[in-house]
Amino acid sequence: MAVILLPSLLAAEAGGRKRFELDAKTVGEALRALPVAPLLFDEGGELRRLVNVYVDGADVRGAEGLDTQLTPTASVRVVAAVAGG
Amino acid sequence: MGVLLSIGTRKGLFLLSGDAEDGHWQLEGPLLPGWSVYHAVVDPRDNVLYACSNNWVYGGSFHRSSDLGKTWERTEEVGLPEESGLKLAATWHVEPGRRSEPGDVWLGGDPGVLFRSSDGGKTWEANQGILEHPTREKWQPGAGGMCCHSIQVADGAVYVGISAAGAFRSDDGGETWAPINANVAADFLPEKYPEVGQCVHKLLMHPGRPERLWQQNHCGVYRSDDRGESWERLDGNGLPSGFGFPLALEPESPDVAYVIPEESAENRVTSDGRLGVYRTGDGGATWELWSDGLPDQAWAAVMREGFASDENGVYFGTQSGSVWTAPRSGGWTEAARDLPPILSVEAAEWS
Repeated sequence: MAVILLPSLLAAEAGGRKRFELDAKTVGEALRALPVAPLLFDEGGELRRLVNVYVDGADVRGAEGLDTQLTPTASVRVVAAVAGG
Repeated sequence: MGVLLSIGTRKGLFLLSGDAEDGHWQLEGPLLPGWSVYHAVVDPRDNVLYACSNNWVYGGSFHRSSDLGKTWERTEEVGLPEESGLKLAATWHVEPGRRSEPGDVWLGGDPGVLFRSSDGGKTWEANQGILEHPTREKWQPGAGGMCCHSIQVADGAVYVGISAAGAFRSDDGGETWAPINANVAADFLPEKYPEVGQCVHKLLMHPGRPERLWQQNHCGVYRSDDRGESWERLDGNGLPSGFGFPLALEPESPDVAYVIPEESAENRVTSDGRLGVYRTGDGGATWELWSDGLPDQAWAAVMREGFASDENGVYFGTQSGSVWTAPRSGGWTEAARDLPPILSVEAAEWS
């Protein structure tokens, strides 16, 4: 199963859980299954602009985005963009 | 009986408990670390603490706590219907409903939107009357976005203030909304007294005389004694400036109001390089500076939600992270300092 890793603020919103193991075929399917999905997607179902997602170290925006396929051993890391102040 | 101040800041929520008379305060926080809390309030009906929580990455959200911040529950989803073509940018103001309607809560947000909950803020439904208001295309976002920042709930009426759209009243429980901006200036528009487009900065209804409304506007301080049907401008008689954001009232004295003026729209710091609260005791006919204990020199700013009062005292927080409190008569005390930029202050009973 793919492993999903969350940053600390999202982990706090997921009851303190930082790591999820999910049986999902794509990045989008995995992220939408998370309890913090409304924080990752806007009302239109689009991934928020400053949410970055890496699969095995590669930014999914350089691949197929939310349609990027996951292998059973994939590691998906959600990272907040470097922004704000 | 003391007071519990909910202090929303750019970086989390703080709770300040104490007494304006004896000046002893205890600070707790930050709660909700990582979230900008635009506004937080304790629901007087059941002591649930509500917070308009926003994050630059994860968007606008809403949290509620049944144990005064020890544990939190995030609203699963607060958003706008896809067919509206709008997306929620931020949650700005939460207002508990009438005592006779437990669980009824209102929530304002950007872009000029209103939500209502019937289950104490667990789930929200967008208000279609505001979302599809026939004048919406004339609304323009101000510097703070197009935020619905003021919600006042009376028996038989609900009022909202949206910048820069104006003030609106609903007499049918939120189904339809009438603009209530007559006599209110919009100096920044080609038409100075339009139906909508006025930039209300804060709108309050007096709880003991609900037909009386006050507003601090981009273009002056106003009072209405007829539920917003007409407004009288009040800032030419003792106030150094008509520009400002925050406004506070005394619950038991309809003729008393407080403002903290700023120099101008172009120079948004306290007037005359002085942090000063101005009080009227005669319905806005005259204003007096109340600055005992406040710094003589200060170029501060107090946000629109950063001012509160109750039967014991008056309280405000600055963008430079200080919380000032005062009993009704007496001087100001700096109850907390060096907090993150303060966005909101609300007062609740505490024991």
